[in-house]
Amino acid sequence: MAARCAGRALSRAARSVINAEYNRAARSQTVQRLTCTAAPGSSSSGQDADRLKAVQFADAEVQDILNRITGLDLNKVFQPVKQELKPPKYRLLTDTQLEEAAHKAGTQAKKLLKMPPVLPERKPIEEVLCEDKMLEGMDKAKYVFTDITYNIPHRERFIVVREPSGTLRKASWEERDRLLQVYFPKNERKLTPPPMFKEENLKVMFGQNRHHAVLNYCLVQFEPDSAEFKRVHALTYEDIEKNGKYNLLWSTRLFGGLVWHLISSQRIDGLLSDMLQRDRVHDAESLVHLFNLAHPQSDSALQAQQQQASGLELLKVIILTYQQPPLVL
Amino acid sequence: MAASIRSIVRAPSRIFLVLQRIHQTQVTVGVLRAPVITPVIRNFFYSSKLLNLESSEKNDHGVESLKDLSRYKDKPWKYLESEEYIERYGSKPVWANYRRNHKGGIPPQKTRKTCIRRGKTCGNPCPICRDQNIIIHYQNVSLLQQFISPYTGFVYDPTRTGVCMRQQKRLNTAIETAKLHGLIPTQLPFVDYTGEDYSNSHGAVAHTPPPPSKTPDEPWYSWYGSIEPNEHELARVKKIYKSYLK
Repeated sequence: MAARCAGRALSRAARSVINAEYNRAARSQTVQRLTCTAAPGSSSSGQDADRLKAVQFADAEVQDILNRITGLDLNKVFQPVKQELKPPKYRLLTDTQLEEAAHKAGTQAKKLLKMPPVLPERKPIEEVLCEDKMLEGMDKAKYVFTDITYNIPHRERFIVVREPSGTLRKASWEERDRLLQVYFPKNERKLTPPPMFKEENLKVMFGQNRHHAVLNYCLVQFEPDSAEFKRVHALTYEDIEKNGKYNLLWSTRLFGGLVWHLISSQRIDGLLSDMLQRDRVHDAESLVHLFNLAHPQSDSALQAQQQQASGLELLKVIILTYQQPPLVL
Repeated sequence: MAASIRSIVRAPSRIFLVLQRIHQTQVTVGVLRAPVITPVIRNFFYSSKLLNLESSEKNDHGVESLKDLSRYKDKPWKYLESEEYIERYGSKPVWANYRRNHKGGIPPQKTRKTCIRRGKTCGNPCPICRDQNIIIHYQNVSLLQQFISPYTGFVYDPTRTGVCMRQQKRLNTAIETAKLHGLIPTQLPFVDYTGEDYSNSHGAVAHTPPPPSKTPDEPWYSWYGSIEPNEHELARVKKIYKSYLK
């Protein structure tokens, strides 16, 4: 029992190393569950094997489960969009053609529901290529040299900065983003982030229940591994979880990210109860299964494995074993 | 210089007044005659072109001062809930009952440049200039929404709403600011994440190994220090650019 507690504590520590880059914000808010006092130091050979079992966001199994949980409400996915008005087109279809059209709509909807990636935060670029003392004081301004060859991916583009002190260094991530927007502009992306992403304006948006608009603008404006992207997403998910507004993101491409955030910080009770309220029992079961995959050392995962539980049994196990992780005040 | 011109110009009008008063005293009792300075002469003498008194060089001075006097200048959105507004406009947009005055059936494709020049309003001002309390501000969302189509999300053309070009420009900037603040919903493009590599393993963004071990004093290329310029050429070039050299 003591060994099990210690093992659990150790695996928690190990897990924290893996998940460090995923959920720094979430971890700072929640303390890992302590079901018993941990005695550090002891390790067992089974830990390494267990550590490998914890799944990542990009795994096929995880993606499959998240896609299933997201659901497919065609009315919400193909909501009428404000665009230039054109006269409607009417077509007469046979039954088979109608089925084909429905099938096509389904595939198009799946494309639109493709989840944006959840990546670890990018490490800052601090590399000096050359120190040329003879160029010191030549000019008061920095010179930025960007490689604008057309056919290379943006992440393989060299962008270097010559400082007035003569050092030639690689440009930082923020400088890279700005310059790539100057030379290869993307639609609707601004050079400086719009004031919408400041705290006060975000609160206004959340008050108007426009979380999807915030997240969509975030996807347009920031790169998926940047700090700003993660900050805005974390704030949005926290607000949703605080007020239980899970249905706002249901059947959108943003739902998977929300679910993964909640699972990583081990706070799935609100979402579970919301799903059960809306009679989405299969979704609830998939959610618990995913939770067990992501946290193989948790109580519910171990008990489920013991009992070989599936379906409603999983729900019963999690209700018995779930403990709210205490918030760090 | 300006002061002296002013005094010179004012003098004849004062003389005129004096003459009028003299004339009045000579008039028989019982006939009332107020001293009237004809507008033409007054404008000629008091025209701002000569005197440069109240109106400044900037054109929008007149517009700003009118709106600055409004009691809603700090919170322009309050006006749209006031009784005054509802009585005047009801639930229709502010431009609903405005009609432009122009010759012929087809209106000019641009509305007038501005309704207020040098503090003076034209006849039939546009829907925004005619009401002192309608202030264009990015937080005044209900007003801005009246100028955006609810179906397409585009801003209405000024030929449809009747606003002058200056107010239309201010409206456009206010709507754009409101969209940046997230107060007005915008339609955003779909971001496709397929086919992107986020591993950050390329040398452009990841750590590249340092150059092969050389002592910091040794030059990067072996021939850096060993090339000497031709003295003849050097002297010739120095002679040419002698005045530019220190």
